[in-house]
Amino acid sequence: MERLYEILEDIQPDVDYATCDKLIDAHILDSLALLSLVSELEEEYDITIPTIEINQNNFNSAKKIMDLILRLKEDY
Amino acid sequence: MQSSSFLLAGAVSKLSSFFSVSYLFMFLPVSILLYFIAPKKLKKYVLLTESMLFFWLISGKLIVYLLFAVLIMHYCGIWLNSLQDEQRRALSDLPREERKPRKKRFERKQNAVVSFSVILLIGTLLVLKYSSFFSTNINTLFDALKLDLRIPVPSYIMPVGISFFSLQALSYIIDVRRGVVKADRNPVRLALFLSFFPQIVEGPIIRYSQTAMQLWNADRLSLRNLKLGMQRIMFGMIKKMIIADRLNPFVTNIFDNYTKFEGGMVAIGAIAYTIQLYMDFSGSMDVVIGTAQIFGISLPENFRQPFFSKSISEFWTRWHITLGTWFKDYIFLSITGSAKMKKLTSSARKKIGNHYGPLLAGSAALFCVWLANGLWHGAAWNYIFFGLYHFALILSGSLIKPLSRKFFQAIKIDPKHTAYQIFQMLRTGLLVVIGELFFRANGFRNGWRMFCRMISDFHFGAVDGTLIRKLGLDMYDCIIIAVTLLIVFAVSILHERGISVRATVEKKNVAVRWGFCYAMMAYIIMFGAYGIGYAAVDPLYAQF
Repeated sequence: MERLYEILEDIQPDVDYATCDKLIDAHILDSLALLSLVSELEEEYDITIPTIEINQNNFNSAKKIMDLILRLKEDY
Repeated sequence: MQSSSFLLAGAVSKLSSFFSVSYLFMFLPVSILLYFIAPKKLKKYVLLTESMLFFWLISGKLIVYLLFAVLIMHYCGIWLNSLQDEQRRALSDLPREERKPRKKRFERKQNAVVSFSVILLIGTLLVLKYSSFFSTNINTLFDALKLDLRIPVPSYIMPVGISFFSLQALSYIIDVRRGVVKADRNPVRLALFLSFFPQIVEGPIIRYSQTAMQLWNADRLSLRNLKLGMQRIMFGMIKKMIIADRLNPFVTNIFDNYTKFEGGMVAIGAIAYTIQLYMDFSGSMDVVIGTAQIFGISLPENFRQPFFSKSISEFWTRWHITLGTWFKDYIFLSITGSAKMKKLTSSARKKIGNHYGPLLAGSAALFCVWLANGLWHGAAWNYIFFGLYHFALILSGSLIKPLSRKFFQAIKIDPKHTAYQIFQMLRTGLLVVIGELFFRANGFRNGWRMFCRMISDFHFGAVDGTLIRKLGLDMYDCIIIAVTLLIVFAVSILHERGISVRATVEKKNVAVRWGFCYAMMAYIIMFGAYGIGYAAVDPLYAQF
């Protein structure tokens, strides 16, 4: 989880990722930040994030992002 | 502007407008009554019959296009679902390391099904809507190259709402592919989702996941929904019939005869058209959403006080919202989510940083989104320009974002200061008006000439009451429009602050509630632009 916080912090600093659960709804992560995040996560965790998974349900909080990563790792 | 295409095809063309007597006082009340008296189990079938009847009345035999789209949704959905089931079965038997290549093979098959449905749905739209435009331009190119070649210029009659229901049908198929929804094996339910009559002419563009089951589980009418729905319809009528339709002759006169006017008058015409379009389209959406509410159906909002936007990109999250989210979900994400674009983002981010790295792939996707947005509105160069104009504004906004942040820090201006935010809203409004000038102009060339006139000859020397009266607006019209705009503006401020006028009135006593309804009704009857001296104006977005 710490590594995920670091990635998020690197892309969009000054956000409390441990508590924030409206990263997409509150436009904290905009489209460009999402693009960076997806490519960074794919490299870091050796996963492929399908377009279908890039939605607010999966990216609204750090916890949800981690759930997605674990699920995708499990899929392969 | 092109003439409204569905009027060419309609059996009872007057029904095509939600503001016509035949719709408001015949079709809608009879539909509500039939829905009310039908047993609960049959209500969904009543809604479907009414929707198909509505479509047939406005489009006649062109209803086959709608049925064709339902069939494509039905069969492609089932096809995708069976491929997904097969994939699950096949992958569950494999060891983990062998799953990846096998999964890719199944995904390729599913993508082929989606491509097939795109060819059928968007291909039909392209042929009907754009073949004349493309062949005319190819002939122009032949002429310019002095080639003795001509290709025939076809002309087709388009069914009403095809630009809307094609996107809806495609969104369902892509959602099945993406696993957002499961394929629906019931074609009747799909037909109801695609044809629901209040929204078939102008949207909002609905998603299967939001609306299909609401429609299928059609419930009894409630007095509360009836009251709230009627109030919303009346508010839409105020916007459309009192402001938009009253402005129509003035706007038409300026855009059709702009060479006779100085730049200041052209600017007034462009502002008037922007107001007309907003009042017309958002007023129509009030009628659509209000009608759906009467039947207990909650449709997504298409507008959220767009003129309070502080940037063009924010504007497009508040104006025609369902079209913007469609393009974002199905074009922007599809392009940026492709393996090549992800690779580009990753390598560019390392070289040129957090902001400009993803912007490279993002701008390619944005270009496609805005080209599609322009073309979706119509087959003409001014619509293409309209789309690319917004692409350029949004891209340049993203490009200068880091610089402007540093600039404001250096000169110690707080971007959250009210005065600065008002400046941002006015700046956005001005950019929107320029875009709408090209959008409304009779072709790109005329749009460009109007824009040049507005810049090079900007004064108001000849603008006076006599000229404005000659153009179709007398003092009485101006006062009514100004007062009604103030009312709409006040309601917008309340909505922006999260206050719903209808919900507030609902909590008041019976005298205030009925007084509110009667006041709206009286306002429309007294000040609506209808009857002798007024030509009914078709909803502007119905032609798209």
